Amino acid sequence: MNGLRRILKPIASLKITVVLFALSMFLILAGTLAQTEQGIWTVVDEYFRSLFVRVPLRLFAPQSKVHIPGAIFFPGGLTLGTLILINLLAAHIVRFKITWKRMGIILTHLGVILLLVGEFVTGAFAREGNMTIVEGGSSNYIEDTREAELALIDGSDSKDDLVVVVPESYLREPGRVISHNLLPFKVLVEAWMPNSQILGPMQSTPQQRSRANTGFGTQIAAVETPTATGVNGATVDVPSAYVTLLGDDGAIGSFLVSVFIDDPQTVVVGDKAYSIFLRFKRTYRPYELRLIDFKHDKFVGTDRPRNFSSDVRLIDPEMHVDRNVHIWMNHPLRHRGETFYQSSFLQGDTGTVLQVVRNPGWLLPYISCSVVTIGMLWHFGIKLGGFLRRQSR
Amino acid sequence: MTIPQRLMPWLMIALAALILAGAYSGREIEGPMDWEALGEIPVSASGRIKPLDTYARNTLMVISGRQTLVENGERVPAIRWYADVLARPDVAAKQDIFRIDHPDLVALLGFKTAQEGGKKRFSFDELSPNFEEISKQADLAFQVDAKNRDPFQRQALTLYNRVSLYLQTARVEAPYTVPPLKDGEEWRPMFVMTMSSQTLDNPAVRGWNDIFRAYAQDDAAGFNKAVQDYRGLIEPGLGSSMKKARSEVFFNEFKPFYQSMLLYVLAFLLAGAGFMLASLAKREWSKSLWNATMCVLLIAFAVHTGGLIFRIVLQGRPPVTNLYSSAVFIGWACVLIGIILEKIHRIGLAGMASAIIGFTTLIVAHNLANTGDTMEMMQAVLDSNFWLATHVVVVTIGYSATFLAGFLAIAFILLGVLTPLLRDDRGKALSRMIYGVICFGAVASFVGTVLGGIWADQSWGRFWGWDPKENGAVLIVLMNLLILHARWGGMIRERGVAVLAVCGNIVTSWSWFGTNMLGVGLHSYGFIDSAIFYMLLFVSSQLVVMAIGLTPWKHWRSFNPKVKAKREPQPRVQQQPA
Repeated sequence: MNGLRRILKPIASLKITVVLFALSMFLILAGTLAQTEQGIWTVVDEYFRSLFVRVPLRLFAPQSKVHIPGAIFFPGGLTLGTLILINLLAAHIVRFKITWKRMGIILTHLGVILLLVGEFVTGAFAREGNMTIVEGGSSNYIEDTREAELALIDGSDSKDDLVVVVPESYLREPGRVISHNLLPFKVLVEAWMPNSQILGPMQSTPQQRSRANTGFGTQIAAVETPTATGVNGATVDVPSAYVTLLGDDGAIGSFLVSVFIDDPQTVVVGDKAYSIFLRFKRTYRPYELRLIDFKHDKFVGTDRPRNFSSDVRLIDPEMHVDRNVHIWMNHPLRHRGETFYQSSFLQGDTGTVLQVVRNPGWLLPYISCSVVTIGMLWHFGIKLGGFLRRQSR
Repeated sequence: MTIPQRLMPWLMIALAALILAGAYSGREIEGPMDWEALGEIPVSASGRIKPLDTYARNTLMVISGRQTLVENGERVPAIRWYADVLARPDVAAKQDIFRIDHPDLVALLGFKTAQEGGKKRFSFDELSPNFEEISKQADLAFQVDAKNRDPFQRQALTLYNRVSLYLQTARVEAPYTVPPLKDGEEWRPMFVMTMSSQTLDNPAVRGWNDIFRAYAQDDAAGFNKAVQDYRGLIEPGLGSSMKKARSEVFFNEFKPFYQSMLLYVLAFLLAGAGFMLASLAKREWSKSLWNATMCVLLIAFAVHTGGLIFRIVLQGRPPVTNLYSSAVFIGWACVLIGIILEKIHRIGLAGMASAIIGFTTLIVAHNLANTGDTMEMMQAVLDSNFWLATHVVVVTIGYSATFLAGFLAIAFILLGVLTPLLRDDRGKALSRMIYGVICFGAVASFVGTVLGGIWADQSWGRFWGWDPKENGAVLIVLMNLLILHARWGGMIRERGVAVLAVCGNIVTSWSWFGTNMLGVGLHSYGFIDSAIFYMLLFVSSQLVVMAIGLTPWKHWRSFNPKVKAKREPQPRVQQQPA
């Protein structure tokens, strides 16, 4: 035991704690500033859930005025979080002693450990997505707005559609040729736009429209736009791509595919018709939600939303569930480990957008913050009591 | 105690009372027309029912940067300006109200800039030949992404918006003035009514027009009667709104935050004087001034509290709902903690620090108010009194405590290094206060931040999202924890705690304001632009104080034993005959 303590003692040093706090503060500041040019999720992955991060120095000066070149490598959130955890655990092993007086500190730190673990669990396991339902319609899938996929659908079977889905990681490489044994053609990625804008027939030039020779792309064009940044509040990028389908005897056609385009484009190869479209990555659920009514109240004479809410019918045959639910601000629906929050709505109030979250660690922060609060009140309560006693003497 | 020493606190109470009485009696409205009665008429604007007086003040504030109009040295209250806009458009069009700060824009419109001796505000008539140019510039600016607009473009858009606001007001598009007289009716704008045949059928429209016709004809008796008739007409259906409107007009006229601002200055001066006298060993006088400080501080705090409660009741919301109210609340919480500390340590420094924070935050709040209604309605997602009352209040108290610790630390460093005033136990007491407030700040900011996480989890299922505001809050937590752990580990002592506590000021100002500036352009009214400048000024001043604080301990005049030995006896010698 003594040997272990001797090893742990330097690791448990408060000096290390202070240094780690200072480094964390710098990382958080950098991660905040980075959101002026990057989307919040990119920043979270690069800065806070990474081992190392490359922090460009230009972030620390107003970029319209001064430009500082270069970058520094810095430990990422995962590294710092783990180190804080090790430091904290070592400290408690080395100095472990339960007394009334130390109880507050022990509880506080126990809570902090839970909080850090909770963030690890969230980072590793939590999934977020959107479910969009138009009024009168229903949905049984969840879209991940951080990732797109190219869907190629063979609808020739009257019972089931045969869907081949190309993940975004394949599409990000222009020039890549994608093939699948269920498809009688190959897909060549011509261009990939992580965030884009659609130009209508009047806005686009013929040259812009020449990138596609079949389908919608002959009338409209997509142009790349900067990806959304964390600070301007817009978090969703809308990707587009140009792809060429290659048959056995050469090109079948070049298409513009975009998440903006809801209607599938059809291409006939041999005796089969294939629908092709780019959409946010979907995962299907064994239950469905039907939107009965969406309500959106505004404050009199303004566009400021006062309240919005969705009346939905939840149908889950497996679980024998069929009931009406009212979802509104701060009042989500919880079903099968997933939580549905009222998040947004479609233009003209024609439908609702629900945020769907599955986070197995969602309870941890609740427990940890109660524990920390009790611990802190305990510790500082004892200190304050002592101070006031001394004062009154 | 001698009689003057005994009288001192009473004198100061009287002075404070005088300031407050002056505030209420010096009301702006004179003449035979009952402007107050007109101001109390409820209207609906930006989603809330408010007195016409508030609408007029806010509108004038947005357009001109001031709540009253100064015309040929005469102060025209906002409500009379409003009546001019509606009833005497020729008069209103000649009043200098449109504020333009950017010299290039002033020059472009063909006026003399301020440097050339020109004016800051221009009349509608002066601007009207330039409307085409203004809308062209605004249009050009509008095409630029909000974040990338330069100050000229922002100013052009602002001016355009100010002109539109004026026109909307003149055409009675805003506020909605036609109240619901029958069940099932909603507030409507007069503008729509005049377009339809309902106009003459609606008694409220007729009554409203009577008021302004009488004003146009300078018929004071007719005006007062029309106002009373109108109020009598809407009273049955809108009794509670009218009661609220009356209170709000009282609040507008009394300006409790402005009054407490003045009183904080007085408290600061008294506390400072008391502290100086204590170090000159004038015990009795110092005690008398301390008593006076506490009296004034308590009165200021009471007025400040009254204003806060007024807002809470009027709005039906917890105290902090936007940046403006956070400024008001931070000052309030600092003064509260300061008073408690002063009760314990009685050295006047906590009083000084909290009075100066109270004053500064109210100045900040005053400047934030020029964006319009400070009691605007909440976005739907924020519409939760429970979380506003818990998370927002607690986290704001955390900000307050961190600021207070920082300001106490500034006193510790400046007085400690540059003067011998912190000798005896006063340096120790001050240091202990800093430490105690940091402990409190650590708890409050941590609990507040975590409560925010829980709110986020309840609202959109994400406990922690690493967004700028959340990161700002956690920076304050980490800063406080860093100081505490460094002290517990023996890495720093009084000096180090003080230097880092001043650094806490920087961190807090970043979290409070800086994170709002990242998205500049979104709510870019004049103040946020200049706020960046003031924030940089504040940050640099804090860095200077920190640098001073890094002076080696032995050179601190208050704590250097040699200086002490040399100077200490002098006051004592003088003291002996007394």
